Amino acid sequence: MNGRGIASVCIVGGGTAGWMTAAALANRLSGLGVTVQLIESEEIGTVGVGEATLPHIRAFNTTLGIAEPELMRATEATYKLGIEFCDWGRVGDRYIHPFGNYGPSDDAIPFYHQWLRLRAMGETGRLDEYSYPIVAAEQNRFRHPASEPGRVESSFGYAYQFDASLYAWFLRRYAEARGVERIEGKVVDVALDGERGFVRDVTLADGRKVAAELFVDCSGFRGLLIEGALQSGYDDWSRWLPCNRAVAVPTESRGPLGPYTRATARTAGWQWRIPLQHRVGNGHVYCSDFISDDDAQQQLVDHLDAPMQADPRRLRFTTGRRRDFWKRNVVAIGLASGFLEPLESTSIHLIQDGITELLELFPDRGFAAEDIDEYNRRMALHFERVRDFLLLHYVATTRDDSPMWRHFRALTLPDSLRHKIDTWLTRGYVVPYQFGLFLPPSWVAVMLGQGLVPKGYDPRVAGIEPGALARRAAALRAEVAAAARATPDHADYIRQSPAAAGLAA
Amino acid sequence: MTDAAAITAVQRILVCGDGLAARMTLAALARQLPPATAILWARDGRQDDSDLFYGNVTGPSAYAFNLAAGLDERLLILNGATAFSWGTRYASWGAGRGWMQSFALPFPVMDGVQFHQYLAVAGADGIDPFVAGLQAARRGVFVHPPRAGASGTPHPLSRAEYGYQFDPADYAQGFAVAGRVERVAGAIASVTAAEGGIAGVTMDDGRVVTADLYIDVSGPQARLLSVVSNDAPTGRSIAISADDLPADDQVPLRTVRATRHGWQSDTPLKGRTRRTKVGAPEAIDGPPATLGRRSRAWVGNCVAIGQAAGVVEPLTPAPMLLLERDIERLLTLIPVSGDTRVEAAEYNRRFAEDYDHAALFQQAFFAAKGLPDGAYWQAACADPVPEKLARKLTMFERRGVLVAYDLEPFHPEDWLILHFGMGRRPARHDPLAARGDKAQVVAFLSTMAREIEQGVATLPPARIYRTQLEQYLRKAAS
Repeated sequence: MNGRGIASVCIVGGGTAGWMTAAALANRLSGLGVTVQLIESEEIGTVGVGEATLPHIRAFNTTLGIAEPELMRATEATYKLGIEFCDWGRVGDRYIHPFGNYGPSDDAIPFYHQWLRLRAMGETGRLDEYSYPIVAAEQNRFRHPASEPGRVESSFGYAYQFDASLYAWFLRRYAEARGVERIEGKVVDVALDGERGFVRDVTLADGRKVAAELFVDCSGFRGLLIEGALQSGYDDWSRWLPCNRAVAVPTESRGPLGPYTRATARTAGWQWRIPLQHRVGNGHVYCSDFISDDDAQQQLVDHLDAPMQADPRRLRFTTGRRRDFWKRNVVAIGLASGFLEPLESTSIHLIQDGITELLELFPDRGFAAEDIDEYNRRMALHFERVRDFLLLHYVATTRDDSPMWRHFRALTLPDSLRHKIDTWLTRGYVVPYQFGLFLPPSWVAVMLGQGLVPKGYDPRVAGIEPGALARRAAALRAEVAAAARATPDHADYIRQSPAAAGLAA
Repeated sequence: MTDAAAITAVQRILVCGDGLAARMTLAALARQLPPATAILWARDGRQDDSDLFYGNVTGPSAYAFNLAAGLDERLLILNGATAFSWGTRYASWGAGRGWMQSFALPFPVMDGVQFHQYLAVAGADGIDPFVAGLQAARRGVFVHPPRAGASGTPHPLSRAEYGYQFDPADYAQGFAVAGRVERVAGAIASVTAAEGGIAGVTMDDGRVVTADLYIDVSGPQARLLSVVSNDAPTGRSIAISADDLPADDQVPLRTVRATRHGWQSDTPLKGRTRRTKVGAPEAIDGPPATLGRRSRAWVGNCVAIGQAAGVVEPLTPAPMLLLERDIERLLTLIPVSGDTRVEAAEYNRRFAEDYDHAALFQQAFFAAKGLPDGAYWQAACADPVPEKLARKLTMFERRGVLVAYDLEPFHPEDWLILHFGMGRRPARHDPLAARGDKAQVVAFLSTMAREIEQGVATLPPARIYRTQLEQYLRKAAS
């Protein structure tokens, strides 16, 4: 690296964010003479949110050169084809938000418009029948995408459900093997330089000081550097997403192994269920305005489908984002940068976004204001667009059976979301954007799945002869059904592969 | 199963105007809307003059647009003067500046780092040797870019993209307006508004024509939209003139030169070369226009397409990219009921973004030193640089980062070639590009350049290719 290059990076905090950052920097900055240190304390527990991931994590792992079976064994991972949402649109409803499109991905007008027209003509089938990942997931089946283009088994994505603490541990070994120095210790003081107000060094409980040119704050909710030392400020989004507590507990594995995460709406929040190889992760995300901690825990326990393996653990958070994700020489990644409830498995993904953007805009010692501003612009967009998508789940509903649901019915939505829902309801049109995590098929899945049925559809499909429309739909359904039938059982598929770890025989 | 389709799509659409925008709109509507929708055309107003502002080049998107509008490229080539185009050569653009702006698919990403970040590492000045279309353009050769070689390995030209060079009046004739389009005889006498929309169009014989949706393709005067909305563009003024030269070399490249009064372009077509001059209205003997877009292109039941919504200087393919996008945007938002508020809001949102994003690209041409003096140049350079453009320029000049916004009409490759072409060089490259072995990077780049050079060396001149293609197509048709 040239004379102005960063020579030292200090990551404050381990956990998923800290070790993902450390692993990525160790990999991407290798050969550039940058030392990377990570400070973490065994005293401070990690939160380990986000046991469910999105397909993008595969690209992250591939870049690091991590082989899938090795990763899955190390993290007790299972495959994931999507998320099942129960009781959201109304009590008794369920749908799967899949990692994939409905119908052929290359239709000039998205296929669901044809389905909407068939529906208007009296056809009663579900749009889900045109999605291979949904049908396979409903039957607890999984296979890797086929390589031949044009088949329904080749056009879907998949992710993992894994133990995030084990993932952090796995990445720690990876990072340490590539020269990252782990420093055990608790940060007790942060010193700024007088001139520019940069973080100069941090002091540990035993008196050691660790200095660096760039600090990455992965210290979790409290944001030890970004907030504690630099007072970045926090945009509180509780008025839109009021859930602020969670209680989590692992249970034994029972029944078939679903290749999907489940999110069930409750009266004051929602409950997750994430099946791993060796156990099932469960938790209840709720809003303290509408339920007490004890009642929330009881509700969780009442709805478990297997014995608990540990005592429930409680968490608190405030939904929102740091005003400056990057300020001076501190970049906040993970919970230190903001929090969005893990309803759509975005926690780990937002870490990945933070790392990707940091690498593209990696500073030199000048820490140009333009780089920092561009990073903050990009991350703000990522966070805001995820926020809108999460909020959609709470407002696309007829539920009014508790104070929380009545709160959402009275809510004034962000303009961007209001507009998106209006265009959908009017004509099944999804407002497009390029730079955001959730693409139109995801919006279609949630809006239709939660009972927002458009009044219209794209008039261009009205020209298709009804018989031809029905025949094509039937052929697509049959293709998906046959492909799903030919797909192996998810648990068997893992058991017979080198990815098997704690999965009972 | 009955077809009691739940939507009441518009039953009658009245398209008012003539020229390129009218024909492209009518062809696309006729091709894509269900047969139950009546399409009426009040063909009125001579727009040959204002159509000059659509320029002489399309982008690569024209191929797909035309196909969806029922215009097969084979017919375009057989029946008109339209020629293939790799892009535009800006032969002189102030301060000795000159570059080729060709179309391109994304460049390869190596070790997670964008291609152009390696140029400085390898000591390459500029990106030209690695742009296949540009190298083909330099030699005046053309073939349709193959997407993969016979062995499955990428062909050196596989990242090349092409558009068309055209004369608007000739190009317009390619779009068939027959069959289902019903012509309304006579000229438009007046347009009546009511309740924020159009109530009807009165023809010169006194007949009043009404519709559920009115499409204004009447050019800059926007005869329909201006009745329901009174904000006209307020940008700078330019004028345009065009004449034809006998030169018939059919080079697949438009050439633009800065002049004291503005700029002039030579665009080889089949059988002739179109010369277009653009400059300050006082200096050019031709139709004038005020640049800029209206705040809303869709008001009530009236949608303005093309120049009726905004006039764009034909310095790049921007006018055609935007015209195509206007029509495509309309097609995705054809109303499904009498209440069009939602469609109008979304249409106007995207319309504004598309025009403004295209404007960033064009304005970047004037964010430079050493441009000629004169009324045209002073006016162009006086436009304030929007924050979005400043960000793009700064981030590229500082470190080669390409800042992008949602769904821009011009792609990162276009910006990259423009930046390099205008002489912008990143002050430093991506530090990650220094990770690789320099000798390997140099070898990779030189192999890539050599393969492109060898790949284009064997290609036929554009005129020969076209002649042979025409012979083949005629034979196939007979």
